[in-house]
Amino acid sequence: MMVGMPLEPQGGVDEARLIARSLKQDHEAFGQLVDRYATVTINLAYRMVGNRTDAEDLAQETFIAAFKALPTFRADAKFSTWLYRIAANKCKDWLRAKRPEQLDVEVDTVADEQVVEARTPERILSQQQVADHLDRAIQRLPPLYREAFILKHVEGLSYEEMEEILGVNGDTLKMRVYKGRVQLSRELAEFNDSRPPVAR
Amino acid sequence: MDDQDLLIQRFLDQDLAPEERVRFLETVDADPRLRRQWLNLEMVLSEAGRLPKIAPSSQFTAGVLAKLDKMPKGFFDRMAELFTVPRTLEWNLTGALATACVALVAVWALVQVRPERIVEVPVAATPAQTVSLSSGQETKVYVRLVLLQPEARSVSVAGGFNGWNPAQTKLERSEGGMWTATIALKPGRYQYMFVIDGKQWIADPLAEEGAGDGFGAQNAVLDVAI
Repeated sequence: MMVGMPLEPQGGVDEARLIARSLKQDHEAFGQLVDRYATVTINLAYRMVGNRTDAEDLAQETFIAAFKALPTFRADAKFSTWLYRIAANKCKDWLRAKRPEQLDVEVDTVADEQVVEARTPERILSQQQVADHLDRAIQRLPPLYREAFILKHVEGLSYEEMEEILGVNGDTLKMRVYKGRVQLSRELAEFNDSRPPVAR
Repeated sequence: MDDQDLLIQRFLDQDLAPEERVRFLETVDADPRLRRQWLNLEMVLSEAGRLPKIAPSSQFTAGVLAKLDKMPKGFFDRMAELFTVPRTLEWNLTGALATACVALVAVWALVQVRPERIVEVPVAATPAQTVSLSSGQETKVYVRLVLLQPEARSVSVAGGFNGWNPAQTKLERSEGGMWTATIALKPGRYQYMFVIDGKQWIADPLAEEGAGDGFGAQNAVLDVAI
């Protein structure tokens, strides 16, 4: 499993120093924190909103909001988890503004169908094709399922960390992840079906 | 979610105990449909974990910091910055002349407005150092008398300014056997003598000028001027 944002990147002590300096309005120190977490923050935003420009804007807004809110950051918390929470909220705000009808709705009917397909998943497809299709399929997930699926399976977080980030209990998160998985599995199977058979 | 769905999800979430995992694998091995369903889900998770990562643009961090620089600051931050941020002074001749004029006017105004002033007048090579004080119509000069007498128990001064009464003006001993007194005198010319231990009269050995006392001895002479 690929792990997303490192939980204690490059040593907690070093990070604690950077945070302490940032609290004293040291922009150079905060720039080091931005460098450290830019990739994971942009990728989370990218998977949530589906385009790079908006993802970069949201990631920048995440860091600005983090800098402003640093005095509220608890020293016993993980900076990465805290940053994820801000980023996730920024993405949800963005989605709410763009597509208000989609957010905050648990779409129970979306993925409850059984996944039944004739072809096996072992079919050979190019990695890029599958990745592109999966990326698009993730964008079609309802935002709450998308958020849970991305944190769990793209960023590689545990349910405990997700509970802390999203403020939602573990059983609910498991249900959202489950529904996301099932819908993606069905879409990927349909994609495989639409492809001509490949000789093996 | 039926029992089989639940089993697959628990397997994917690694919630199954080892023996449950074995039973699950035996079940999917015996059920092609369930196996296909499970493998499709496994493929999704595998591909999700391998999705390509996008890299931040080269200006990403600089962009964040530029926005931070533009952020309005709090009162205390602004005050701290006001006193701590180094600045480069830019000037031109007109500005410099204007500043100089303002400074001169300010100094002149201070001199005019101040009700009294103290001008220190050092007297080279004399024991008496004078400082003048102008107060209204009357001008007085503070004179500092100094005598080195390490063996003396008391020293006073008698002169024209105190009616030749040694009890009126006593000097104070300071470090090294130096005796000093500061007295306020109107400008003028005074004769004086030091009195050691209340009985020995001596002229100031460092006085620049002396004058006969009419009894064959010399008094020290002090000229007090502004």
